[in-house]
Amino acid sequence: MKFDVVIIGGGLAGTSAATELQKSGLKCILVADGLSLYNCPKNEFKAAGGTVLQGDRVVSGDFEDGRLLRVYTAKLGNEPLEAGQFVLATGKYFSRGLVADMDKVYEPLFNLDVEYDADRPSWFDPSFAAPQRFLEFGVKTSGALALKGGVPIENLYPAGEVLAGVSSAQGDATEQILNSARQAVRAIRKTDYAGE
Amino acid sequence: MPSKNEFDVIIIGGGITGAGTARDCAMRGLRVLLIERHDIATGATGRNHGLLHSGARYAVKDSESAEECIRENKILRSIASNCIEDTGGLFITLPEDEEAGFGLDYQQKFIDACQRAGIEARAISPSDAREMEPSVNPSLIGAVVVPDGSVDPFRLCAANVTDAAMHGAKVLVYTEFIDFIREGDTIQGVQVLDTRTGVKAEYRAPVTVNAAGIWGHGVAEKAGVHIGMYPAKGALLVFGHRVNNVVINRCRKSADGDILVPGDSVTVIGTTSTKVPFEECDHMEVTPDEVRLLLREGCALCPSLASTRILRAYAGVRPLVADDSDPTGRSISRGIVCLDHETRDGVKGFISITGGKLMTYRLMAELATDAVCRKLGVNQACSTAETPLPGSVDGRIETVSKRFEGKVTLGQKGAAGRQGDLVGKLRFDSDADKQLVCECENVTLAEIKYAVAELGVRSLGDLRRRTRVGMGTCQGTLCIRKAAKALAQALGDPSLEAKLAADYLDERWKGMRAVGWGDTLREMEFMQRVYKFEKPYSYDEI
Repeated sequence: MKFDVVIIGGGLAGTSAATELQKSGLKCILVADGLSLYNCPKNEFKAAGGTVLQGDRVVSGDFEDGRLLRVYTAKLGNEPLEAGQFVLATGKYFSRGLVADMDKVYEPLFNLDVEYDADRPSWFDPSFAAPQRFLEFGVKTSGALALKGGVPIENLYPAGEVLAGVSSAQGDATEQILNSARQAVRAIRKTDYAGE
Repeated sequence: MPSKNEFDVIIIGGGITGAGTARDCAMRGLRVLLIERHDIATGATGRNHGLLHSGARYAVKDSESAEECIRENKILRSIASNCIEDTGGLFITLPEDEEAGFGLDYQQKFIDACQRAGIEARAISPSDAREMEPSVNPSLIGAVVVPDGSVDPFRLCAANVTDAAMHGAKVLVYTEFIDFIREGDTIQGVQVLDTRTGVKAEYRAPVTVNAAGIWGHGVAEKAGVHIGMYPAKGALLVFGHRVNNVVINRCRKSADGDILVPGDSVTVIGTTSTKVPFEECDHMEVTPDEVRLLLREGCALCPSLASTRILRAYAGVRPLVADDSDPTGRSISRGIVCLDHETRDGVKGFISITGGKLMTYRLMAELATDAVCRKLGVNQACSTAETPLPGSVDGRIETVSKRFEGKVTLGQKGAAGRQGDLVGKLRFDSDADKQLVCECENVTLAEIKYAVAELGVRSLGDLRRRTRVGMGTCQGTLCIRKAAKALAQALGDPSLEAKLAADYLDERWKGMRAVGWGDTLREMEFMQRVYKFEKPYSYDEI
């Protein structure tokens, strides 16, 4: 299946980016794992003509020359989702956008570059209510693009809490999350129009 | 008529040894004061495996400890049935044990030593062991069945304190020992500080018992006597569900992380043994290396631990009596040390009871009380080995549940399991009283009210030690504000709610930080999401 944009993750960042992109005339698919949340924005996205792949999750992707070509999902198996652009909005640890091992934090889908500290005791403040460093970890970016092995992936845009420095766990981060989604949308529109 | 500040005996320390000694002294008719600077069971008593040792672990090297263990094991089964679960235990031999010289020859030596100590031990085939405990490492080459079990040390300690109070003992928690009142070479009492109010007080008694565990070292120093204590830290990990149903041990020389104990809804692996400075005993943190080691050894006993969420880590300090020649503390006897400082050091009216272990607390209490009675010239025999603890008189849930009218709820059943035959004291007057506050452990509002009214609960930590509130798989994530609200109201000061919750969360956070990766870290992020202190979405606004 071929789309203009694949949006991975059906949270606040994923649904708002998907809706905006679909409304600007791009053919989008939203892969939304987990609970049936954010139904209102999902419905808006669907009303604009978008496709939602509910209850499925992306498991891997093919890269070539610094681009992500296609992704595979758990349920579609060998049938990939191909697209010109990709948004990664998989969230932090709880939604498995990031995975922490005993001594490292990684991005489990594409092994993107992650900003973290290898010294695990430094991840936490002894006071529960204090800011916690582990919530600051996330994928690195160059402009709006994800980095893999230090090299920008020219069509992969992380958005929302998967990003370093973005977390809603300790306070309201709605604006920050929406801004990151808007940044991805702007960058995709720009690329897309430039390509036409 | 003696003043209210005068007693026959003052006991310092509200761990299991102090609690047991208070009970024994009170049952022998003495006027008893028990002081504890925090809550009961906050030291080593609440920071161990919760293993009801058969004694098999000590059989080969320390037959005296082994014999003590099996005797007390049988006694506890009869007097503390409500605190004990008869899980049975296995000592397994793995291929790597054989390579290290602890193969089936050693297993036979182990069985012989057990039998000499009076511990029933019989070898079973590896396939029978796997049927008995499906989670056991399938590569085992041998297994021995022993009468191990699990014991809830919080419940056991609380039952002893309750019984002491029922026999007239005065129990003061959050009351810190400051110094002795001394007249020449005689200890006449203690100065204490109420750590909540900052008020100082003096209490007098002809005999003072030092039952302060590792902190007993400092207590003795205040009396000018030296006990060469050896603070041996032991770290443990709690797993998110009950992986095994039988205690699993390694059949080899005692080492780190070789006991896996199922207790209530969880499984505990431990321990390590490292000497720590006395200054650190109040602030035990489990290190990444200890976690790594416990996980590695735990997986050798039970491979599925590798993929099981770790709830938390904790550590306690064994109050061993030192032998400077051994740097690990492993070869020190876990034996009981009862010191009469009059004969030993020329200080009158002062006894220290230390060493030993959770399993032998009753015997330690008996020895200490015998010594107290000798000093006071009291001739009363010990009856703690025959008299069931409150809650264990008839603790069977079926019997206890008959005390409730109508259909027994989950919360009532849970309370019956925890409070045993004392559950009749819970008041289920309204529907609200039957509401569950903690859904992991089935704790009702009625049980919280009871714990405040009858068990001296002042904080959520105290409440946890009496009712298991917040001890289950969510670690308080989903219940702590409810529990804090209920507790604050039961304490008569609703404004305490936020402080009670914050203190409790810091304590849970400490145990989770040490194992903060994988699914535990996911839980930690979730916990942060649920409780956003002083943030736009505070609990009250939801």
